[in-house]
Amino acid sequence: MSYVFFPGCSLDGTAKDFHVSTMAVASKLGLDIPELKDWICCGSTAAHSSDPLLADALPAKNLSMAEGRTVAVACASCYSRLKMANSHIASDAAVRAKVAAVIGSDYDGQTPVLHFLELLCRDVGRSRIAEAVRRPLSGLKVACYYGCLLSRPPGITKFDDAENPMLMDQLIETIGATPVDWPHKTECCGASYSISDTSIVLQLSNEILSMAKAAGVDCIATACPLCQLNLDMRQKDVEAEYSKSYNLPVFYFTQLLGLALGCSAGELSLRSMVVAPQPVLSRLGLPV
Amino acid sequence: MAAILEIDDINGGLLLQISGLGGASLMNCYQCQKCTSGCPVASRADLKPHEVVRLMQMDQWETVLSSRFIWECTSCHTCGTRCPQEVDIASLNDALRVKSRASARVIPDTAVPVLNEIFLSAIRKRGRVHELSLMAAFKLRTMRLFADFNKVPMMISKRKLPFLGPRIGHRREREAMFLRAQRGER
Repeated sequence: MSYVFFPGCSLDGTAKDFHVSTMAVASKLGLDIPELKDWICCGSTAAHSSDPLLADALPAKNLSMAEGRTVAVACASCYSRLKMANSHIASDAAVRAKVAAVIGSDYDGQTPVLHFLELLCRDVGRSRIAEAVRRPLSGLKVACYYGCLLSRPPGITKFDDAENPMLMDQLIETIGATPVDWPHKTECCGASYSISDTSIVLQLSNEILSMAKAAGVDCIATACPLCQLNLDMRQKDVEAEYSKSYNLPVFYFTQLLGLALGCSAGELSLRSMVVAPQPVLSRLGLPV
Repeated sequence: MAAILEIDDINGGLLLQISGLGGASLMNCYQCQKCTSGCPVASRADLKPHEVVRLMQMDQWETVLSSRFIWECTSCHTCGTRCPQEVDIASLNDALRVKSRASARVIPDTAVPVLNEIFLSAIRKRGRVHELSLMAAFKLRTMRLFADFNKVPMMISKRKLPFLGPRIGHRREREAMFLRAQRGER
């Protein structure tokens, strides 16, 4: 299958480490995922909560440039917006016509969109990943945190089970670590309210961190820039607000996968993490 | 399948018209409250998701459009995912936010619409969002100058906030696209 990568705005900034580690993993696995040329922002929350036509048109503009290739996405919010637009456009001729008038070309809503987790688990396959593992992460207990937008709405994303997704758990198991069963896999972290209404993020992220801590994990694995940012960068604020102590490193799943595939800490941009992962990693004899 | 909800004339009887395939009517809601049970912000919001739907059924749109709830909803889609009647409350909220702004009923102390506006104008100008510029513009507009101030040096040192934004060109083409979108809304 031929892919093209849609990074999205966060992966050029606060989630640079997600970008870097995704590319490092792709290279280790021999995947060719060139970046979509001249991509523009998907519109994210701002578009869908203020302008329904733009919310479909911005993703459509990008998807219409994919030239038949499958669009691979790492950001859960971009993934959600691209899939939503595909669904609206493919199922409603009036929406398709309106979008065509805005973007200046007819787009049919058929460009396939895959999250990088789906691409790894379904297209590459776990056996090929297992063969590429150089350093199994044995002994590392991980809370796989999927957030909202990969699995919901399930009729549109068709990602995995909406209440108990397992794709990331299976991947984490493949690289020798131990995924735990915990109840907050798909609870919301507060997402973009990180900037506009921080108290929501502190409340929701506290619930997620406290559940992960109670499950006895060493770290959390995420698949979304906002989930990672809220749980990691705001962890100190959460601890102060709720008088708790978590000290849980929050990785992108690609960083953990990269470690197992033999990438260096620098190649995975581990220094970008706010809660230091070094104590956990050095205990396992992994590079820090 | 997600419903596309359009609010009809604000003074006209039943407010909602639902188009799109498979979207369930708000009238299908029988108040089981499964949405509210799973809603991450129900415990703090002035209205709960099932109450929003009930108020809409009863044509009490004024209460809904001036509620805090529509600006605290995180669009997590837990409500619609679990609804036995397939009412898509998250998409309803998107439509309500648009109408709340258009009818000047946004609660006074939320900064959410301001951020949305700045975000969209950034896309219009640059094509992509440069987070540092976005945050600076948001702080100036809301005068929250010192919120998270301590995080800026840390984020820069962790290479999470590049100073320079992307330059991708095509601004004139994008401007035309945004103008066509504005016309298309009417």
